[in-house]
Amino acid sequence: MKTASAKHLLALLLALAGTAAVAQQPAEEPFWAKGRPKSDTAMKMAPVPAFPIPTPAEQLPVAKMKLPPGFKAEVWASGLLDARGLRQGDRGTVFVSSLFVAGKIYAVVDKGDRREVKTIAEKLFLPNGIEFVKGSLYVATPKDITRYDNIETSLDKPPAPVMVYDKLPGEVPHGWKFIKLGPDGKLYVPIGAPCNSCEPGDGFAKIIKMNLDGSGVETVASGVRNTVGFDFDPKTGDLWFTNNGRDWLSEDLPNDTLNHVTQPGKQHFGYPYCHQGDFADPEFGWGKSCADYAQPAQLMGPHAGVLGMRFYTGKMFPAQYQNAIFVARHGPSRTTNTSVARSTCW
Amino acid sequence: MKALAALLLGVAALPAAAQGYAERYATLCAACHGVTGRSTMALAPSLGGQPSFYTITQLFLFKNERRKNAAMVALAQNMNDTDLRGFSDVIAKLPPPTPPASPASAPDAERFARGKASAQRHQCLACHGSDGAGGQQVARIAHQREDYLLESLQGFKAGTRIGYTQAMNEAVAAVRPDELADIAHYLAYLQ
Repeated sequence: MKTASAKHLLALLLALAGTAAVAQQPAEEPFWAKGRPKSDTAMKMAPVPAFPIPTPAEQLPVAKMKLPPGFKAEVWASGLLDARGLRQGDRGTVFVSSLFVAGKIYAVVDKGDRREVKTIAEKLFLPNGIEFVKGSLYVATPKDITRYDNIETSLDKPPAPVMVYDKLPGEVPHGWKFIKLGPDGKLYVPIGAPCNSCEPGDGFAKIIKMNLDGSGVETVASGVRNTVGFDFDPKTGDLWFTNNGRDWLSEDLPNDTLNHVTQPGKQHFGYPYCHQGDFADPEFGWGKSCADYAQPAQLMGPHAGVLGMRFYTGKMFPAQYQNAIFVARHGPSRTTNTSVARSTCW
Repeated sequence: MKALAALLLGVAALPAAAQGYAERYATLCAACHGVTGRSTMALAPSLGGQPSFYTITQLFLFKNERRKNAAMVALAQNMNDTDLRGFSDVIAKLPPPTPPASPASAPDAERFARGKASAQRHQCLACHGSDGAGGQQVARIAHQREDYLLESLQGFKAGTRIGYTQAMNEAVAAVRPDELADIAHYLAYLQ
Protein backbone atom coordinates (compact mmCIF):
# COMPACT_ATOMS: atom_id res chain seq x y z
CA MET A 1 0.00 0.00 0.00
CA LYS A 2 1.41 3.34 -1.01
CA THR A 3 0.19 6.59 0.43
CA ALA A 4 1.44 10.05 -0.43
CA SER A 5 3.84 10.95 2.32
CA ALA A 6 4.51 14.07 4.30
CA LYS A 7 7.44 14.59 1.94
CA HIS A 8 5.03 15.46 -0.88
CA LEU A 9 3.35 17.98 1.41
CA LEU A 10 6.69 19.49 2.37
CA ALA A 11 7.86 19.70 -1.22
CA LEU A 12 4.64 21.37 -2.29
CA LEU A 13 4.75 23.83 0.61
CA LEU A 14 8.34 24.80 -0.16
CA ALA A 15 7.65 24.97 -3.86
CA LEU A 16 4.82 27.39 -3.22
CA ALA A 17 6.98 29.43 -0.85
CA GLY A 18 9.76 29.47 -3.42
CA THR A 19 12.45 28.63 -0.89
CA ALA A 20 15.66 26.69 -1.40
CA ALA A 21 16.33 23.10 -0.40
CA VAL A 22 13.72 20.36 -0.29
CA ALA A 23 14.10 16.98 1.41
CA GLN A 24 15.40 14.28 -0.91
CA GLN A 25 12.41 12.49 -2.40
CA PRO A 26 12.03 8.75 -2.73
CA ALA A 27 11.71 7.47 -6.31
CA GLU A 28 7.90 7.65 -6.47
CA GLU A 29 5.38 8.67 -9.06
CA PRO A 30 3.33 11.78 -8.35
CA PHE A 31 0.18 10.93 -6.37
CA TRP A 32 -2.17 11.52 -9.29
CA ALA A 33 -0.23 8.96 -11.40
CA LYS A 34 -0.17 6.09 -8.96
CA GLY A 35 -1.95 3.16 -10.53
CA ARG A 36 -1.87 4.68 -13.99
CA PRO A 37 -1.50 1.91 -16.58
CA LYS A 38 1.83 1.77 -18.38
CA SER A 39 0.33 1.84 -21.89
CA ASP A 40 1.47 4.65 -24.22
CA THR A 41 -1.93 6.35 -24.21
CA ALA A 42 -2.30 6.24 -20.46
CA MET A 43 1.26 7.34 -19.79
CA LYS A 44 0.68 10.55 -21.75
CA MET A 45 -2.19 11.54 -19.46
CA ALA A 46 -1.05 14.15 -16.99
CA PRO A 47 -3.14 16.79 -15.30
CA VAL A 48 -3.39 20.03 -17.25
CA PRO A 49 -2.95 22.66 -14.58
CA ALA A 50 -5.21 25.65 -14.10
CA PHE A 51 -4.31 28.53 -16.41
CA PRO A 52 -2.58 31.40 -14.60
CA ILE A 53 -4.59 34.15 -16.27
CA PRO A 54 -8.34 34.70 -15.88
CA THR A 55 -10.27 34.64 -19.17
CA PRO A 56 -11.31 38.15 -20.17
CA ALA A 57 -15.07 38.68 -19.80
CA GLU A 58 -15.71 39.02 -23.53
CA GLN A 59 -14.06 35.65 -24.18
CA LEU A 60 -16.11 33.66 -21.67
CA PRO A 61 -18.14 31.09 -23.63
CA VAL A 62 -21.51 32.10 -22.17
CA ALA A 63 -23.26 31.75 -25.53
CA LYS A 64 -22.24 28.07 -25.68
CA MET A 65 -23.96 27.18 -22.42
CA LYS A 66 -27.02 24.99 -22.99
CA LEU A 67 -29.90 26.02 -20.77
CA PRO A 68 -33.54 24.96 -20.37
CA PRO A 69 -36.12 27.29 -21.95
CA GLY A 70 -36.64 30.48 -19.97
CA PHE A 71 -33.18 30.40 -18.37
CA LYS A 72 -30.44 32.91 -19.17
CA ALA A 73 -26.75 32.95 -18.25
CA GLU A 74 -24.62 36.06 -18.03
CA VAL A 75 -21.26 37.04 -16.58
CA TRP A 76 -21.64 38.40 -13.07
CA ALA A 77 -17.98 38.95 -12.26
CA SER A 78 -14.78 38.18 -14.13
CA GLY A 79 -11.04 38.45 -13.64
CA LEU A 80 -10.93 36.26 -10.54
CA LEU A 81 -7.92 34.03 -11.06
CA ASP A 82 -8.53 30.41 -10.06
CA ALA A 83 -12.02 31.02 -8.61
CA ARG A 84 -13.51 27.91 -6.97
CA GLY A 85 -15.88 28.04 -3.98
CA LEU A 86 -18.61 30.64 -3.42
CA ARG A 87 -20.36 31.81 -0.26
CA GLN A 88 -22.48 34.89 0.36
CA GLY A 89 -22.33 37.02 3.50
CA ASP A 90 -25.31 38.56 5.28
CA ARG A 91 -24.65 41.91 3.60
CA GLY A 92 -24.47 40.34 0.16
CA THR A 93 -20.70 40.13 -0.21
CA VAL A 94 -19.76 37.13 -2.34
CA PHE A 95 -16.67 35.36 -1.03
CA VAL A 96 -14.67 33.33 -3.54
CA SER A 97 -12.02 30.74 -2.72
CA SER A 98 -9.23 29.44 -4.95
CA LEU A 99 -7.28 26.22 -5.10
CA PHE A 100 -4.19 25.38 -7.14
CA VAL A 101 -2.91 28.63 -8.59
CA ALA A 102 -3.92 31.78 -6.77
CA GLY A 103 -3.75 30.91 -3.06
CA LYS A 104 -6.23 33.75 -2.48
CA ILE A 105 -9.63 34.46 -1.01
CA TYR A 106 -11.57 37.16 -2.84
CA ALA A 107 -14.54 39.28 -1.77
CA VAL A 108 -16.83 40.58 -4.50
CA VAL A 109 -19.02 43.59 -3.76
CA ASP A 110 -21.97 44.26 -6.05
CA LYS A 111 -22.05 47.94 -6.98
CA GLY A 112 -25.13 47.57 -9.17
CA ASP A 113 -23.68 48.23 -12.57
CA ARG A 114 -20.41 46.52 -11.83
CA ARG A 115 -18.67 44.25 -9.39
CA GLU A 116 -15.70 45.28 -7.21
CA VAL A 117 -13.23 42.50 -6.46
CA LYS A 118 -11.00 42.63 -3.39
CA THR A 119 -8.39 40.15 -2.21
CA ILE A 120 -8.85 39.57 1.51
CA ALA A 121 -6.24 36.85 1.99
CA GLU A 122 -3.35 35.53 -0.07
CA LYS A 123 -0.41 33.11 -0.12
CA LEU A 124 -2.69 30.48 1.38
CA PHE A 125 -2.20 26.72 0.88
CA LEU A 126 -4.97 25.21 -1.30
CA PRO A 127 -7.66 27.32 0.39
CA ASN A 128 -10.68 25.82 -1.38
CA GLY A 129 -13.04 25.55 1.60
CA ILE A 130 -14.97 28.61 2.77
CA GLU A 131 -18.13 29.14 4.81
CA PHE A 132 -19.83 32.24 6.16
CA VAL A 133 -21.31 32.02 9.66
CA LYS A 134 -22.58 34.88 11.82
CA GLY A 135 -20.41 37.57 10.30
CA SER A 136 -17.26 35.45 10.10
CA LEU A 137 -15.62 33.79 7.10
CA TYR A 138 -14.19 30.35 7.81
CA VAL A 139 -11.33 29.21 5.54
CA ALA A 140 -10.30 25.56 5.36
CA THR A 141 -7.06 24.19 3.88
CA PRO A 142 -5.72 20.63 4.00
CA LYS A 143 -4.03 21.55 7.28
CA ASP A 144 -6.36 23.80 9.26
CA ILE A 145 -9.49 25.91 9.58
CA THR A 146 -9.22 29.61 10.40
CA ARG A 147 -11.76 32.37 10.83
CA TYR A 148 -11.91 36.06 9.76
CA ASP A 149 -14.30 37.94 12.05
CA ASN A 150 -16.55 40.86 11.10
CA ILE A 151 -15.23 40.36 7.62
CA GLU A 152 -17.95 42.19 5.67
CA THR A 153 -17.22 45.46 7.46
CA SER A 154 -13.46 45.11 7.11
CA LEU A 155 -12.96 44.01 3.51
CA ASP A 156 -10.33 46.68 2.89
CA LYS A 157 -8.42 45.87 6.05
CA PRO A 158 -9.21 42.26 6.94
CA PRO A 159 -8.42 41.09 10.46
CA ALA A 160 -5.75 38.54 11.22
CA PRO A 161 -7.28 35.07 11.03
CA VAL A 162 -8.15 33.21 14.22
CA MET A 163 -7.20 29.51 14.39
CA VAL A 164 -10.26 27.29 14.75
CA TYR A 165 -8.88 23.79 14.17
CA ASP A 166 -5.29 22.82 13.33
CA LYS A 167 -5.38 19.04 13.53
CA LEU A 168 -6.30 18.21 9.94
CA PRO A 169 -3.80 15.72 8.47
CA GLY A 170 -2.50 18.11 5.80
CA GLU A 171 -2.11 15.50 3.06
CA VAL A 172 -2.26 17.03 -0.42
CA PRO A 173 -4.13 14.30 -2.36
CA HIS A 174 -7.84 14.93 -1.76
CA GLY A 175 -6.82 17.12 1.15
CA TRP A 176 -8.35 20.36 -0.10
CA LYS A 177 -11.65 21.14 1.54
CA PHE A 178 -15.29 22.00 1.04
CA ILE A 179 -16.94 23.07 4.31
CA LYS A 180 -20.57 23.77 5.18
CA LEU A 181 -22.55 24.69 8.27
CA GLY A 182 -25.15 22.05 9.13
CA PRO A 183 -28.65 22.65 10.46
CA ASP A 184 -27.27 21.47 13.82
CA GLY A 185 -24.96 24.48 13.94
CA LYS A 186 -21.84 22.36 13.40
CA LEU A 187 -19.19 22.74 10.71
CA TYR A 188 -19.01 19.77 8.34
CA VAL A 189 -15.52 18.99 6.99
CA PRO A 190 -14.32 16.13 4.73
CA ILE A 191 -10.95 14.41 4.95
CA GLY A 192 -10.30 12.70 1.64
CA ALA A 193 -8.30 9.55 1.03
CA PRO A 194 -4.57 10.44 0.75
CA CYS A 195 -4.23 8.31 -2.37
CA ASN A 196 -6.14 7.00 -5.36
CA SER A 197 -6.82 3.56 -3.96
CA CYS A 198 -5.50 2.39 -0.58
CA GLU A 199 -6.51 1.44 2.93
CA PRO A 200 -7.08 4.94 4.20
CA GLY A 201 -6.83 4.32 7.93
CA ASP A 202 -9.15 5.79 10.56
CA GLY A 203 -8.23 9.39 9.93
CA PHE A 204 -9.12 9.54 6.24
CA ALA A 205 -11.87 8.98 3.67
CA LYS A 206 -14.61 10.41 5.87
CA ILE A 207 -16.79 13.41 6.64
CA ILE A 208 -16.51 14.85 10.16
CA LYS A 209 -18.36 17.62 11.94
CA MET A 210 -17.23 19.91 14.76
CA ASN A 211 -18.43 22.79 16.87
CA LEU A 212 -17.59 26.22 15.52
CA ASP A 213 -14.76 26.49 18.04
CA GLY A 214 -13.15 23.30 16.71
CA SER A 215 -14.22 21.09 19.61
CA GLY A 216 -16.37 17.98 19.62
CA VAL A 217 -15.20 16.31 16.42
CA GLU A 218 -17.45 13.41 15.33
CA THR A 219 -17.47 11.19 12.27
CA VAL A 220 -20.58 11.63 10.12
CA ALA A 221 -19.80 9.18 7.29
CA SER A 222 -16.94 6.81 6.43
CA GLY A 223 -15.73 5.20 3.26
CA VAL A 224 -15.92 8.52 1.39
CA ARG A 225 -12.98 8.79 -1.01
CA ASN A 226 -13.15 12.47 -1.92
CA THR A 227 -16.12 14.77 -1.50
CA VAL A 228 -15.82 18.40 -2.53
CA GLY A 229 -19.49 19.27 -2.39
CA PHE A 230 -22.35 18.68 0.03
CA ASP A 231 -25.51 20.30 1.32
CA PHE A 232 -28.44 19.63 3.66
CA ASP A 233 -31.96 18.80 2.51
CA PRO A 234 -34.07 21.78 3.57
CA LYS A 235 -37.00 19.47 4.39
CA THR A 236 -35.25 16.76 6.40
CA GLY A 237 -31.90 18.27 7.37
CA ASP A 238 -30.19 15.18 5.92
CA LEU A 239 -26.69 15.52 4.51
CA TRP A 240 -26.26 14.78 0.81
CA PHE A 241 -22.77 14.69 -0.73
CA THR A 242 -21.05 14.09 -4.06
CA ASN A 243 -18.09 11.73 -4.25
CA ASN A 244 -15.25 11.30 -6.72
CA GLY A 245 -14.61 7.62 -7.42
CA ARG A 246 -11.23 5.98 -7.90
CA ASP A 247 -9.15 6.23 -11.06
CA TRP A 248 -7.04 4.07 -13.35
CA LEU A 249 -9.26 1.00 -13.26
CA SER A 250 -11.26 1.64 -16.42
CA GLU A 251 -12.43 4.61 -18.42
CA ASP A 252 -16.06 3.62 -17.69
CA LEU A 253 -15.99 2.52 -14.05
CA PRO A 254 -16.54 3.36 -11.30
CA ASN A 255 -19.02 6.21 -11.48
CA ASP A 256 -18.76 9.30 -9.39
CA THR A 257 -21.77 9.35 -7.09
CA LEU A 258 -24.37 11.45 -5.29
CA ASN A 259 -25.01 10.08 -1.81
CA HIS A 260 -27.53 10.50 1.01
CA VAL A 261 -26.63 10.14 4.68
CA THR A 262 -29.65 8.63 6.40
CA GLN A 263 -27.89 7.47 9.57
CA PRO A 264 -25.22 10.00 10.58
CA GLY A 265 -22.19 8.41 12.20
CA LYS A 266 -23.18 4.89 11.22
CA GLN A 267 -22.79 4.52 7.48
CA HIS A 268 -19.80 3.40 5.41
CA PHE A 269 -20.00 4.33 1.76
CA GLY A 270 -17.71 1.60 0.48
CA TYR A 271 -14.27 3.07 -0.28
CA PRO A 272 -11.84 1.39 -0.85
CA TYR A 273 -13.64 -1.95 -0.89
CA CYS A 274 -16.75 -1.30 -2.97
CA HIS A 275 -17.38 1.45 -5.50
CA GLN A 276 -20.69 2.95 -6.60
CA GLY A 277 -22.55 0.47 -4.42
CA ASP A 278 -22.07 -2.58 -6.58
CA PHE A 279 -18.51 -2.81 -7.87
CA ALA A 280 -16.02 -4.69 -5.72
CA ASP A 281 -12.50 -3.26 -5.91
CA PRO A 282 -10.08 -5.75 -7.55
CA GLU A 283 -7.44 -5.18 -4.87
CA PHE A 284 -9.44 -4.44 -1.71
CA GLY A 285 -12.82 -6.03 -2.41
CA TRP A 286 -12.01 -9.65 -1.61
CA GLY A 287 -13.89 -10.89 1.40
CA LYS A 288 -16.18 -7.87 1.45
CA SER A 289 -19.76 -7.62 0.29
CA CYS A 290 -21.04 -4.54 -1.51
CA ALA A 291 -24.40 -5.13 0.13
CA ASP A 292 -22.80 -4.20 3.46
CA TYR A 293 -22.18 -0.62 2.34
CA ALA A 294 -24.41 2.39 1.86
CA GLN A 295 -25.72 2.54 -1.70
CA PRO A 296 -25.39 5.74 -3.73
CA ALA A 297 -28.50 7.77 -4.46
CA GLN A 298 -27.40 8.48 -8.02
CA LEU A 299 -24.58 7.54 -10.41
CA MET A 300 -22.99 10.65 -11.85
CA GLY A 301 -20.80 9.35 -14.66
CA PRO A 302 -17.27 7.92 -14.55
CA HIS A 303 -14.47 10.46 -14.03
CA ALA A 304 -17.06 13.22 -14.13
CA GLY A 305 -15.36 15.29 -11.43
CA VAL A 306 -18.47 15.95 -9.34
CA LEU A 307 -17.81 19.00 -7.22
CA GLY A 308 -20.14 21.54 -5.62
CA MET A 309 -23.73 20.67 -4.96
CA ARG A 310 -26.58 22.63 -3.49
CA PHE A 311 -30.30 22.34 -2.78
CA TYR A 312 -32.13 25.14 -4.59
CA THR A 313 -34.10 27.25 -2.13
CA GLY A 314 -34.42 30.44 -4.16
CA LYS A 315 -37.56 31.96 -5.60
CA MET A 316 -36.51 32.77 -9.13
CA PHE A 317 -36.72 29.34 -10.76
CA PRO A 318 -39.97 27.49 -11.53
CA ALA A 319 -41.67 25.44 -8.81
CA GLN A 320 -40.22 22.11 -10.00
CA TYR A 321 -36.74 23.38 -9.04
CA GLN A 322 -37.68 24.00 -5.39
CA ASN A 323 -35.50 21.78 -3.19
CA ALA A 324 -33.94 20.21 -6.27
CA ILE A 325 -30.19 19.47 -6.14
CA PHE A 326 -27.80 21.25 -8.48
CA VAL A 327 -24.47 19.44 -9.03
CA ALA A 328 -21.45 20.85 -10.81
CA ARG A 329 -19.49 18.31 -12.81
CA HIS A 330 -16.02 19.63 -13.50
CA GLY A 331 -15.25 17.37 -16.42
CA PRO A 332 -13.33 14.26 -17.28
CA SER A 333 -10.04 13.32 -15.73
CA ARG A 334 -7.94 10.15 -16.00
CA THR A 335 -9.84 9.22 -19.12
CA THR A 336 -9.55 9.85 -22.82
CA ASN A 337 -13.28 10.74 -22.96
CA THR A 338 -13.66 14.45 -23.62
CA SER A 339 -17.31 15.09 -22.76
CA VAL A 340 -18.00 18.67 -21.78
CA ALA A 341 -18.28 19.73 -18.15
CA ARG A 342 -21.78 20.72 -17.17
CA SER A 343 -24.14 21.38 -14.32
CA THR A 344 -26.97 18.95 -13.78
CA CYS A 345 -30.07 19.19 -11.69
CA TRP A 346 -31.93 16.51 -9.76
CA MET B 1 21.99 40.36 -40.30
CA LYS B 2 20.10 37.69 -42.20
CA ALA B 3 18.39 36.63 -39.00
CA LEU B 4 17.38 40.19 -38.23
CA ALA B 5 16.03 40.67 -41.73
CA ALA B 6 14.06 37.45 -41.40
CA LEU B 7 12.60 38.65 -38.11
CA LEU B 8 11.62 42.00 -39.61
CA LEU B 9 9.93 40.25 -42.53
CA GLY B 10 8.15 38.08 -40.01
CA VAL B 11 7.06 41.18 -38.09
CA ALA B 12 5.59 42.74 -41.21
CA ALA B 13 3.34 39.72 -41.74
CA LEU B 14 1.78 39.72 -38.25
CA PRO B 15 -1.54 41.34 -37.27
CA ALA B 16 -1.19 44.72 -35.59
CA ALA B 17 -1.45 43.61 -31.96
CA ALA B 18 1.03 40.79 -32.41
CA GLN B 19 3.34 43.09 -34.33
CA GLY B 20 3.56 45.13 -31.16
CA TYR B 21 4.78 42.17 -29.16
CA ALA B 22 7.20 41.02 -31.83
CA GLU B 23 8.81 44.44 -31.70
CA ARG B 24 8.76 44.40 -27.92
CA TYR B 25 10.40 40.97 -27.94
CA ALA B 26 13.15 42.35 -30.17
CA THR B 27 13.68 45.27 -27.79
CA LEU B 28 13.23 43.58 -24.44
CA CYS B 29 14.11 39.92 -24.82
CA ALA B 30 16.30 39.32 -27.85
CA ALA B 31 19.50 40.66 -26.32
CA CYS B 32 19.64 37.64 -23.99
CA HIS B 33 17.35 35.10 -25.62
CA GLY B 34 18.34 35.66 -29.24
CA VAL B 35 16.70 37.56 -32.08
CA THR B 36 15.44 34.37 -33.76
CA GLY B 37 14.58 32.58 -30.54
CA ARG B 38 17.86 30.69 -30.41
CA SER B 39 20.04 31.89 -27.57
CA THR B 40 23.78 32.32 -27.88
CA MET B 41 24.11 33.61 -24.31
CA ALA B 42 25.33 31.23 -21.64
CA LEU B 43 22.52 29.94 -19.41
CA ALA B 44 19.88 32.05 -21.14
CA PRO B 45 17.40 29.59 -22.64
CA SER B 46 16.37 29.52 -26.28
CA LEU B 47 12.70 30.46 -26.41
CA GLY B 48 11.81 29.59 -29.99
CA GLY B 49 8.79 27.32 -30.29
CA GLN B 50 8.03 27.19 -26.60
CA PRO B 51 4.32 26.36 -26.14
CA SER B 52 2.57 29.58 -25.16
CA PHE B 53 0.86 28.00 -22.11
CA TYR B 54 4.31 27.02 -20.81
CA THR B 55 5.77 30.48 -21.37
CA ILE B 56 2.79 32.09 -19.62
CA THR B 57 3.30 29.86 -16.57
CA GLN B 58 6.97 30.84 -16.33
CA LEU B 59 6.27 34.57 -16.70
CA PHE B 60 3.57 34.09 -14.02
CA LEU B 61 6.08 32.41 -11.70
CA PHE B 62 8.64 35.17 -12.27
CA LYS B 63 5.99 37.83 -11.75
CA ASN B 64 5.02 36.29 -8.40
CA GLU B 65 8.69 35.75 -7.53
CA ARG B 66 8.03 32.05 -7.06
CA ARG B 67 10.75 31.36 -9.62
CA LYS B 68 13.97 33.16 -8.78
CA ASN B 69 15.93 35.19 -11.32
CA ALA B 70 16.48 38.87 -10.58
CA ALA B 71 16.42 40.03 -14.20
CA MET B 72 13.34 38.01 -15.17
CA VAL B 73 11.48 38.91 -11.98
CA ALA B 74 12.05 42.60 -12.64
CA LEU B 75 10.84 42.29 -16.24
CA ALA B 76 7.82 40.14 -15.41
CA GLN B 77 6.66 42.41 -12.61
CA ASN B 78 6.22 45.13 -15.20
CA MET B 79 3.97 42.90 -17.30
CA ASN B 80 0.20 42.69 -17.12
CA ASP B 81 -1.95 39.72 -18.17
CA THR B 82 -2.18 41.00 -21.74
CA ASP B 83 1.61 41.18 -21.92
CA LEU B 84 1.90 37.59 -20.71
CA ARG B 85 -0.35 36.43 -23.52
CA GLY B 86 1.23 38.74 -26.10
CA PHE B 87 4.83 37.74 -25.46
CA SER B 88 3.94 34.05 -25.18
CA ASP B 89 2.10 34.04 -28.49
CA VAL B 90 5.01 35.70 -30.29
CA ILE B 91 7.56 33.40 -28.66
CA ALA B 92 5.59 30.31 -29.64
CA LYS B 93 5.84 31.39 -33.27
CA LEU B 94 9.62 31.92 -33.22
CA PRO B 95 11.43 29.08 -35.00
CA PRO B 96 12.44 26.26 -32.65
CA PRO B 97 16.19 26.09 -32.03
CA THR B 98 18.24 23.51 -33.93
CA PRO B 99 21.41 21.81 -32.73
CA PRO B 100 24.62 23.65 -33.55
CA ALA B 101 25.47 22.98 -37.20
CA SER B 102 29.24 22.99 -37.09
CA PRO B 103 31.04 19.62 -36.82
CA ALA B 104 32.91 20.89 -33.77
CA SER B 105 29.64 20.86 -31.88
CA ALA B 106 28.59 17.34 -32.78
CA PRO B 107 27.41 15.25 -29.83
CA ASP B 108 29.75 13.01 -27.89
CA ALA B 109 28.50 9.59 -29.00
CA GLU B 110 29.00 7.91 -25.62
CA ARG B 111 27.39 10.65 -23.59
CA PHE B 112 24.52 10.85 -26.08
CA ALA B 113 23.91 7.10 -25.78
CA ARG B 114 24.02 7.19 -21.97
CA GLY B 115 21.76 10.20 -21.88
CA LYS B 116 19.31 8.53 -24.24
CA ALA B 117 19.20 5.42 -22.07
CA SER B 118 18.59 7.52 -18.96
CA ALA B 119 15.86 9.55 -20.65
CA GLN B 120 14.13 6.36 -21.75
CA ARG B 121 14.35 4.90 -18.27
CA HIS B 122 12.87 8.03 -16.72
CA GLN B 123 10.30 8.49 -19.49
CA CYS B 124 11.14 12.14 -20.15
CA LEU B 125 9.64 12.07 -23.62
CA ALA B 126 6.37 10.60 -22.34
CA CYS B 127 5.43 14.13 -21.27
CA HIS B 128 7.80 16.18 -23.47
CA GLY B 129 6.84 14.31 -26.64
CA SER B 130 8.86 11.94 -28.80
CA ASP B 131 10.26 14.99 -30.60
CA GLY B 132 10.87 16.87 -27.34
CA ALA B 133 8.58 19.67 -28.51
CA GLY B 134 6.35 19.65 -25.43
CA GLY B 135 2.88 21.17 -25.57
CA GLN B 136 0.32 22.86 -23.27
CA GLN B 137 2.15 23.48 -20.01
CA VAL B 138 5.02 21.13 -20.87
CA ALA B 139 8.20 22.81 -22.12
CA ARG B 140 9.94 22.22 -25.43
CA ILE B 141 13.29 20.73 -24.45
CA ALA B 142 14.68 19.46 -27.76
CA HIS B 143 17.81 21.36 -28.83
CA GLN B 144 17.64 23.65 -25.83
CA ARG B 145 20.99 25.05 -24.64
CA GLU B 146 22.79 22.23 -22.88
CA ASP B 147 24.01 24.47 -20.03
CA TYR B 148 20.45 25.67 -19.37
CA LEU B 149 19.05 22.13 -19.49
CA LEU B 150 21.62 20.95 -16.96
CA GLU B 151 21.04 23.92 -14.69
CA SER B 152 17.29 23.29 -14.85
CA LEU B 153 17.57 19.59 -14.11
CA GLN B 154 19.92 20.22 -11.20
CA GLY B 155 17.61 22.91 -9.88
CA PHE B 156 14.52 20.67 -10.06
CA LYS B 157 16.42 17.96 -8.25
CA ALA B 158 17.65 20.29 -5.53
CA GLY B 159 14.30 22.02 -5.16
CA THR B 160 15.80 25.42 -6.00
CA ARG B 161 14.00 25.50 -9.34
CA ILE B 162 10.25 25.76 -9.02
CA GLY B 163 7.84 24.48 -11.65
CA TYR B 164 4.26 25.63 -12.18
CA THR B 165 3.33 22.18 -10.89
CA GLN B 166 5.21 19.59 -8.89
CA ALA B 167 5.74 17.47 -11.99
CA MET B 168 9.43 18.16 -12.68
CA ASN B 169 10.50 18.08 -9.04
CA GLU B 170 8.93 14.65 -8.74
CA ALA B 171 10.16 13.44 -12.16
CA VAL B 172 13.80 14.33 -11.45
CA ALA B 173 13.72 13.02 -7.88
CA ALA B 174 14.26 9.51 -9.25
CA VAL B 175 17.17 10.51 -11.51
CA ARG B 176 20.73 9.95 -10.20
CA PRO B 177 22.84 13.12 -10.04
CA ASP B 178 25.45 11.62 -12.39
CA GLU B 179 22.79 11.03 -15.04
CA LEU B 180 21.77 14.67 -15.34
CA ALA B 181 24.65 15.93 -17.50
CA ASP B 182 24.25 13.11 -20.02
CA ILE B 183 20.49 13.67 -20.23
CA ALA B 184 21.10 17.36 -20.91
CA HIS B 185 23.61 16.43 -23.61
CA TYR B 186 21.16 13.98 -25.23
CA LEU B 187 18.32 16.51 -25.27
CA ALA B 188 20.54 19.25 -26.72
CA TYR B 189 21.25 17.01 -29.74
CA LEU B 190 17.97 15.06 -29.84
CA GLN B 191 17.08 13.48 -33.18
